[in-house]
Amino acid sequence: MKLHLPPRVSPKQFQSAMTAFAGVVGKEWLMDTDADRDAYADTYAPGSTEEWPASAAVAPASVDEVRAIVRLANEHKVPLWPVARGKNLGYGTAAPRMEGTVVMDLGRMNKVLELDHKLAYCVVEPGVGFFDLYDQIQREKAPLWLSVPGNAWGSVLGNALEHGIGYTSYGLHARNLCGIEAVLPDGDLVRTGMGAMAGNPAFHLFPMSYGPTWDLAFSQSNLGIVTRAGVWLQPAPETSLEIVWDIPKVEDIGWVIDTITPLKISGLIDQNVFIPSWLGKMVLKGQRKDFWDKPSAIPDWRVDELLKEHKLGYWQVALRLYGEEPVVKARAEVVKAAMKRNLDAAPQEHWWRQGDPIGQYETTMGVPSAVPLQMSDWIGGRGAHMGFSPVVPATGKHVLDQMALSRKIIADFDVDFYASFTIGGRFANNVNMLMYDRDNADEVAKMRKLFDALIVQTAKAGYAEYRTHLGWMDPVMETFDFNNHALRRFDEKVKSALDPNGIIAPGKQGVWPAAYADKRGSAYKGGN
Amino acid sequence: MPPYMLRPVAPEGDRLKPGRDGKTVFEAQCGYCHLVGGMGTNLLTKQQMMAGNPPAKGLLSNRDDLTADYVKAVVRMGKGAMPQQTKVDLTDAELDAVAAYLGKAG
Ligand SMILES: Cc1cc2nc3c(=O)[nH]c(=O)nc-3n(C[C@H](O)[C@H](O)[C@H](O)COP(=O)(O)OP(=O)(O)OC[C@H]3O[C@@H](n4cnc5c(N)ncnc54)[C@H](O)[C@@H]3O)c2cc1C
Repeated sequence: MKLHLPPRVSPKQFQSAMTAFAGVVGKEWLMDTDADRDAYADTYAPGSTEEWPASAAVAPASVDEVRAIVRLANEHKVPLWPVARGKNLGYGTAAPRMEGTVVMDLGRMNKVLELDHKLAYCVVEPGVGFFDLYDQIQREKAPLWLSVPGNAWGSVLGNALEHGIGYTSYGLHARNLCGIEAVLPDGDLVRTGMGAMAGNPAFHLFPMSYGPTWDLAFSQSNLGIVTRAGVWLQPAPETSLEIVWDIPKVEDIGWVIDTITPLKISGLIDQNVFIPSWLGKMVLKGQRKDFWDKPSAIPDWRVDELLKEHKLGYWQVALRLYGEEPVVKARAEVVKAAMKRNLDAAPQEHWWRQGDPIGQYETTMGVPSAVPLQMSDWIGGRGAHMGFSPVVPATGKHVLDQMALSRKIIADFDVDFYASFTIGGRFANNVNMLMYDRDNADEVAKMRKLFDALIVQTAKAGYAEYRTHLGWMDPVMETFDFNNHALRRFDEKVKSALDPNGIIAPGKQGVWPAAYADKRGSAYKGGN
Repeated sequence: MPPYMLRPVAPEGDRLKPGRDGKTVFEAQCGYCHLVGGMGTNLLTKQQMMAGNPPAKGLLSNRDDLTADYVKAVVRMGKGAMPQQTKVDLTDAELDAVAAYLGKAG
């Protein structure tokens, strides 16, 4: 990719910034060739990667190097886009929101600084991947389990800071963060919570600060660069039981939600319950053309045939309970009785007990896997996807309303409907996977129009996204409209005060510093 | 279902210096997807079988038709479901070592 300079930075100014950055990290870790820029482009870009072009990437190895680069970035007015491992596939990968921003790749800061077997937490740097932490836990034989996202190729902190979701009792990843160290936009270094006192052993144990609590202010945020954080982990249970129901019909999702949510809220179920539609299973079975060889959406009659042929329900609930055996048994009885009120078929049950081997694809047991990336093979070519991810109250009515809405819009665009709902408590995250071949320009253009329509219509119905792709950060922020966008006005007041040069991640989540206020929406070409 | 495969610890020492241990680097950095049961292995096994080859050829370490240059190009540019890898994922020196390890066809 050719060089796109940051706004108002001359080639000369940019070069001197690169020389200065290289002076901190060494020239090998300052990556500014055309090939380097490609390496940091959005792997699943819906359109040209040059819509969200990084000018370069810099990879510091320590907090001191991060601080030095932030100070130099201020001096040279060259903005930075921090990523942990930069594997945010479906949401922009490692690419920045604003053209010419330098990606700060924290992948070299990959130390597990602490792994506390007794109090069940770890302290990690941003470059620690789910696989790295899992391996470390195995090597130490620590009695601890992870919570991992479907694609676990990324970073424990990167995923949590992006409000990522997993499918265990610790599945709300941002909630596991406790005690953060962050470099501020002026290069200062802060520790939150009890860590604000030097050497305090409760840094990663008590989740609040004395005074305002800032931990989550660094998540989906451009207020700082997180250089380490505590992450709470699940104590390895004595046993675990997976109970699997195939749910026959699309509209059954209503009673499923109304059955599971109360049990989740009461604590009887402590897992984030993931409910994918049939296509979630199908995409791992082959390629779309093997099952439906037309570009048009798979029609309902063919869906019915496929469900029969492959013995699938429209939805699948693979619920997992964790704990001592008698407790798990008792909980299972309650859950099964509740489900039986609407579904006669007996579920499959899979027990696991301490000492039993754990398979490679046990996401609900915190085993990291990158196998879901296979999904891109379903479409073939340079297969990619974006996730349209609204949050709805976890009641059957809300879920059915939201589903009817998005299903109709998606059908109107003649696109396959592939939804999942994850019950995280009183809410459900609805992820709609929109899959496309990056080399099919018409299909990409259609997806973009569809994405626009989904955002607008969903907002009209009163729901909003929890996370979105770079190209739609401004439109989604726009939907948060209470009191003339008071939240954005507040975010931007804080942002501009802390970061007058707009050095850290300008435009992240639609929050623009005064220094780049004119850039809002400039890269938004959705639907055109 | 195959059990989880523990990857080796990445080799010690300067990641930028030539002469890295290609096998260990491959297993540590590419093993997310290219060990038994990984994403790459699953897809390649299917492709190899469709081409009439034994399923074991789905593991890159069993292939004898890869060239070093091909390995380097795929790693840096990505292919199919495989995203491109940055120099932080794999330095040029590490990639040279991995390409030499996998590139049995020269
Ligand atoms: C098939 C498939 C399935 C997926 N399933 C899931 C899933 O189940 N759940 C889920 O959550 N995601 C899922 N994803 C999306 C994504 O791949 C993961 O969320 C991944 O963990 C994100 O990449 P990362 O961890 O490398 O984060 P990064 O890309 O490193 O970080 C994400 C963002 O967080 C911010 N950030 C990162 N580090 C810092 C820092 N140190 N300081 C300040 N800000 C920072 C930045 O804004 C950055 O852009 C899936 C993707 C695919 C392709």
